[in-house]
Amino acid sequence: MTATIAARTSTRATSSDAVATARRLTAMELRLLLREPMVGVGLLGFPLVIVLVLAGVFGQVPDPAFGGVAPDQHYLAGSIGVVIAAMGMLTLPVHISTHREVGVLRRFRASGLSTGVVIASQIAVGVILGTVAVAVVLLAGTAVYDLQTPVDPLGVLGWYVVGLACFIAIGVALGSVLSTGRAATAVGNLIYVPMFMLGGGGPPRGAMTGAMSSISTVLPLSHIIGGIRLAWLGRTDDPHTLWWPILVAAVAVATAVRAERRRAV
Amino acid sequence: MRTTQLVTTPTNTRRPDDPEGAADNLIEVRDLTKRYGSTHVLRGVSFSVRRGELFGLLGTNGAGKTTTVEILQGLRRADGGSVDVLGLDPGRAGDRLRRLVGSQLQDAALPDRMRVGEAIDLFASLHPAPRPLRELAEEWQLTHLWKRPFSALSGGERQRLFVALALVGCPEVVFLDELTQNLDPVGRRRTWDVVRQVRDAGTTVVLVTHDVEEAERLCDRIVVLNRGRVVADGTPAAIVESLGGAVRVQFTDPRIDLRPMRHLPGVVSVERHGSTVHVEGTGAVLAHVGAHLVAKERPAEDLSAHRPTLEDRFVALTEESSS
Repeated sequence: MTATIAARTSTRATSSDAVATARRLTAMELRLLLREPMVGVGLLGFPLVIVLVLAGVFGQVPDPAFGGVAPDQHYLAGSIGVVIAAMGMLTLPVHISTHREVGVLRRFRASGLSTGVVIASQIAVGVILGTVAVAVVLLAGTAVYDLQTPVDPLGVLGWYVVGLACFIAIGVALGSVLSTGRAATAVGNLIYVPMFMLGGGGPPRGAMTGAMSSISTVLPLSHIIGGIRLAWLGRTDDPHTLWWPILVAAVAVATAVRAERRRAV
Repeated sequence: MRTTQLVTTPTNTRRPDDPEGAADNLIEVRDLTKRYGSTHVLRGVSFSVRRGELFGLLGTNGAGKTTTVEILQGLRRADGGSVDVLGLDPGRAGDRLRRLVGSQLQDAALPDRMRVGEAIDLFASLHPAPRPLRELAEEWQLTHLWKRPFSALSGGERQRLFVALALVGCPEVVFLDELTQNLDPVGRRRTWDVVRQVRDAGTTVVLVTHDVEEAERLCDRIVVLNRGRVVADGTPAAIVESLGGAVRVQFTDPRIDLRPMRHLPGVVSVERHGSTVHVEGTGAVLAHVGAHLVAKERPAEDLSAHRPTLEDRFVALTEESSS
């Protein structure tokens, strides 16, 4: 161990700039998250099981109720949105709020770790976690149900980036507003479960009542999953208005900034 | 509101063009005010901290100590007054200042699963020339805890880690807020020794505490806060001395003549209770009484004195300023 400490010491003076600090903090945060068993369950386990079960239940025959595509393809393509929503509404806010609750953010700030660096590292953590989780779910789905190749790969990528930005913004906003990890867990689940059910992860829109369908239309997840399905499968019944999740993300960013400013007083 | 001001810096250390010694001040606080809603937390707090001293901010819970040091570190904004730390305004310099000072905060923690070595490594990376990590870990007895997660550390181990993190960047000034809370008596005294070492190595230490004994034993100079106001400023001895007239000397001698003792320097009163003689006085009254007994060839084996403690003075000051 002594040798390890000495080796670290020798490299110390070169890593003082903000980018290096953000990179170091991101690596640290990822290591900490990987040591949390609940992260694996919430981010990977839940979406993976649900998507694979739903795809298996409704089969592989194209169905008008699913916009004319095979239900397994419908759910597998939609799993991208399901995973990044779980990351944004469960993993990130709980992580940030718990950090705040026990004084970790205060400890970081007192040591000169700027708020900008901490937020940048949280965004990086969201991007990496979201991407890895999506890759794992898609690989598992492909192995089980033979997911077709995307009709418009760039479109899928574009909607994925918009979705990631939207849910990272929501995650940081929830983490900024909610003071405790328990509050973040409760609120996150309260928002995530109905959003998952009505936002493209649950029953197809054709099976929803009018009221539920209307609620589904205002959920950002519906538009992100709709956009991804359109780009991947070539058709969808889901809404896919690009500006809506962008507007939600902007509101989330403004909320996070306001909350942080109030805390700084 | 009366403030006990007791100037303690030796005048021969001051420059001729700087009679107040302001050039030696690393921290200057003037008329600091802060409110939380309708509650006035700081009401015109002023003090300075000199280079190389172990400075204590002493007060009861809710006196405004933590708010003051949080403002000094730029973690809170003041409503009024001015603050200068290392020539910087904490409200503007923010992160830049916080990288120059060390900080051990009250009620701050690390992630449960973060290991000791990872924490030291991360915080060291924030500074251009940090302390050698091995040396720091050995100094604070953290070497054997290097891979232990934060959640598995005892209260004392956590405090040692926080102080090590505060010192990892070789700061000119270090803020230690309620440093020894949760420590057992042995750990407390060991920590005091190390804090003295930190001061002796040239780091200016600002110690925030409600523990009068800790302030008295450790600090070169103390500011006492009560209800957001400075009620005393000076060395522990000078603050105690300001209580005045309360040295009580006693010894056993059933036959000694008390009349000459009433004329000894510093003696205020002499009384006999049974075979015990009680003398109350100021200054070097103990020495004069002892010399008198020896001169009369009646040295008392149980001659003893009770001097007012800083705690006595602290209680008096806080009660006085609260009434």
